[in-house]
Amino acid sequence: MEYLLSILLPSLGHMYRRLWTRAFCILGVVLAHGGILWLAIQKGRFALLAEKIPKRYAGGYWFSTLMLLGIFFLIWVFALVDLWRQGRRREEIRGQSYWSLVWRRFKRDPKGISGALIILFMLYLALFAPFFSRGDPIKMDLRNYLKPPSWEHPMGTDNFGRDILDRAIYGSRTALGIGAVATIINMLLGGFLGLVSGFYRGAADAIIMRFLEIINSIPFLLFAILAVSIFGSSIPILIIILGIFGLQPARIIRSEVLSVREEDYILAAKAIGAGQLRLIFRHVLPNAIASLLVTTTMSIGVNIIVIAGLSFLGLGIKPPTPDWGAMLRDAQEFFRTAWWMAIFPGIFIAVTVFGFNILGDSLRDVMDPRLK
Amino acid sequence: MLIVLFGLSILVFTMLKLMPGDPAVIMAGLGATPETIQSIREKLGLDRPIPEQYWRLISGLFNGQIKAITYHTSVWAIIFERLPATVELGVFALIIALLISIPAGLLSAVYKDTLLDYGVTTMALIGISVPVFWTALILMLVLGVVLRVLPVSGRGATIGPWSFLTLDGLRHLVIPSVALSSVLMAMNARLTRASMLEVLRQEYIKTARAKGVREGVVIIKHAFRNALAPVLTNVGLQISTIFAGAVLTETTTAWPGMGRLMVEAINRRDEAVVLGLTLFLAAVAQVSYLVVDLMYAWVDPRIAYD
Repeated sequence: MEYLLSILLPSLGHMYRRLWTRAFCILGVVLAHGGILWLAIQKGRFALLAEKIPKRYAGGYWFSTLMLLGIFFLIWVFALVDLWRQGRRREEIRGQSYWSLVWRRFKRDPKGISGALIILFMLYLALFAPFFSRGDPIKMDLRNYLKPPSWEHPMGTDNFGRDILDRAIYGSRTALGIGAVATIINMLLGGFLGLVSGFYRGAADAIIMRFLEIINSIPFLLFAILAVSIFGSSIPILIIILGIFGLQPARIIRSEVLSVREEDYILAAKAIGAGQLRLIFRHVLPNAIASLLVTTTMSIGVNIIVIAGLSFLGLGIKPPTPDWGAMLRDAQEFFRTAWWMAIFPGIFIAVTVFGFNILGDSLRDVMDPRLK
Repeated sequence: MLIVLFGLSILVFTMLKLMPGDPAVIMAGLGATPETIQSIREKLGLDRPIPEQYWRLISGLFNGQIKAITYHTSVWAIIFERLPATVELGVFALIIALLISIPAGLLSAVYKDTLLDYGVTTMALIGISVPVFWTALILMLVLGVVLRVLPVSGRGATIGPWSFLTLDGLRHLVIPSVALSSVLMAMNARLTRASMLEVLRQEYIKTARAKGVREGVVIIKHAFRNALAPVLTNVGLQISTIFAGAVLTETTTAWPGMGRLMVEAINRRDEAVVLGLTLFLAAVAQVSYLVVDLMYAWVDPRIAYD
């Protein structure tokens, strides 16, 4: 019975079983997404049919809509699975694994939760940008040249008459997209180098460490500036540059590996004939994962700031693509008359990076209680 | 250390050689005949094999013979002309940052888990999240445009190469140095707090308290002195952060320092200046790392170098 209810609308099943807190949480999430869906339908029906949306954006619309439906499906599945899990024996022994401990501590940390919420908010802004924005972030409209904030344009308009809020919403796409992908490359490449260098020592270690020292000898931003002026500043190139020069994880993994490799259980594993891959993936990596996760979160923030800095110098994302740093670059010229151009994009950068920083901080606290 | 500088010079040289745009063409200007371009290329040695070009550039940098391609003076002359402005900016930013962050970090560690601590840690987190160029823009907007108490940009009057000696120069210095210090402040406050908490956990603090030493003395004399050492030595490691921040704040506030020189030189494809500046910066950073290493031994006798 409750399963049927839950299939109809997630959270009804929970209500039927009087699991009120869970029910209302799920209901809240469903309603929030329903709101987005409502926006999407409004935009989609009126705009697509009336051909208010140029063809080049139609694809983005469908993509966002599909993502939204996908998330709905996930919520639906989650509600059903949760209902089933809640239905099993209640007094079974709760898991005491490291991760369940971490999760329980994390849930009680307001810092981490608010960081996660900020990031989630920005992520949704990026994913569903076409539903939240009210106009074209690129098309110029010179009649609205430098309008101060008003009901129609909550954050004012820029020197081409484009709505700042719309551009900032679309700007979250470049910031988060490039930031996240570049960080993944950082982790994979840095993690690999750190593993090799810590595990095999010797010549490989020496070469990798010298290379890292060279890269660290001048600021990351300078390398990025140099590289961008050589290879141009298209988005894939930006990602690759940030990915290659932000190798901080290598050091962390290396020191983690070095501290673990002398442990007796590694010796024991070797003694029973564990292969190198097994040693690396079963014994060394799990120990490093906590500090790796913290670095990942923090470096997304760093990468977002570096992208903004590059665009601000005119070397990153080129206009007219909406980007927070590039918007601030435009603002520089007009800041005596149009303060709104300088303030709002910066708030978006600061809030996003702040979200990643407090999440990272909280992750460090919950994953390694020694450091608290 | 020398290996690092050598490797860096090769890396940067390679990157410069990959950079599109022929410096000779840029220098010759529009409508130059192929012959003039060729003669400039020969004058600059751009027609030689790559290793020889590298050698000429590096040796030229050392004996001061190599000229900046677009500035018409030697590379060192132009770097040293811009150096005081950046030093001034960096030192002032650092002083402001340390004056505020160390007491803040100390208080936040002593009153751990109180409202004060939450305030300081939150401010510090905001500080590392806000890009310096935005801080600079906001300060320019508020202090320069709205309140009209400070000049918005530029450097103002100077005595010799220094502008902090004149009142006008000092007023110009406020916005860029405060903007740059915001990040340093946040980093150092976090560092002071962490280091202080670490020290307060030590056994000898417990002993001192058990002996009945007054709490203020325990905190200042026993704990703070030892907690300060890692914070101060870490300042040497922040040279990179300061310079990266300087590139952005100098561009925002039109402060004529090395950071702006770097951006200008890259835009003009002036490889001699870019390479010289990069190596100079890296050398300064390496020396400061060395000093940090030595200082560790000096402040903490437990570490010995043989």
